[in-house]
Amino acid sequence: MALSIEVRDSGDWRIIDAVGEVDLMTSPQLRDAVLASVKEGGNVGVNLSGAEYMDSSGVATLVEGLKSASEKGQQFVLVRPSGRVMKVLELARLDTLFDIREAIEGD
Amino acid sequence: MIRQDITIEVASDPRLLHLVRALVRGYLEDSGFSGDRVGEVVLGVDEACTNAIRHACGGNPEESFRVTFRSSEEFLEIQLEDSGEPAQPEAVEPKAPPEQPDAAQVQPGGLGLHLIHEVFDEVEFCPGVTQGNCVTMKLFIPQ
Repeated sequence: MALSIEVRDSGDWRIIDAVGEVDLMTSPQLRDAVLASVKEGGNVGVNLSGAEYMDSSGVATLVEGLKSASEKGQQFVLVRPSGRVMKVLELARLDTLFDIREAIEGD
Repeated sequence: MIRQDITIEVASDPRLLHLVRALVRGYLEDSGFSGDRVGEVVLGVDEACTNAIRHACGGNPEESFRVTFRSSEEFLEIQLEDSGEPAQPEAVEPKAPPEQPDAAQVQPGGLGLHLIHEVFDEVEFCPGVTQGNCVTMKLFIPQ
């Protein structure tokens, strides 16, 4: 099962739309998009409404993105994480770590 | 009586993980599990396979690991065996994230083991003396 990553701009935000399954095979694609987006310098939102599966390598990528963005004073939020993604964040006790939003203003 | 239901040999290749997940999902649903519980156990087995690929087999697709599914009236058991580098005992201790995480302190590594322990009722690691690892993950069937 593949992962499709699309990156787009919405106002001040760089939005990453991740659709599919995030595992050891596909999480490097998400990581590349996350780190490149943070490096751009703006706020980053990861739309996980279409993420049907996520493992610890995917969670590690989100944590890495949050840390990188926070160090640079940028916002890093998760947008509408799917039920499966919320479940793995809860099991990892990291569900309260992230700013989780229904939508990005203007998107 | 414990039945040995399925044994598969899987090349140490991340491209195959989704196929193992599909098999685990089907096996659990056939055994009467459903909903969130299926998703959790699929995640746990996937984490164990990921550990086998990354740490024991070093990501070498020439290596492989074996997944065995066993069942009884009381439990399902999924066992992974590899012939790669044996894990150090401290490496298989689960590292639970702190109760109040903040981004500066959370370490991404070690999360896989924690997730395995969270979703299975019993987990037993048995690293080999000079070669190989095995992890047995058990879940009890609700009576």
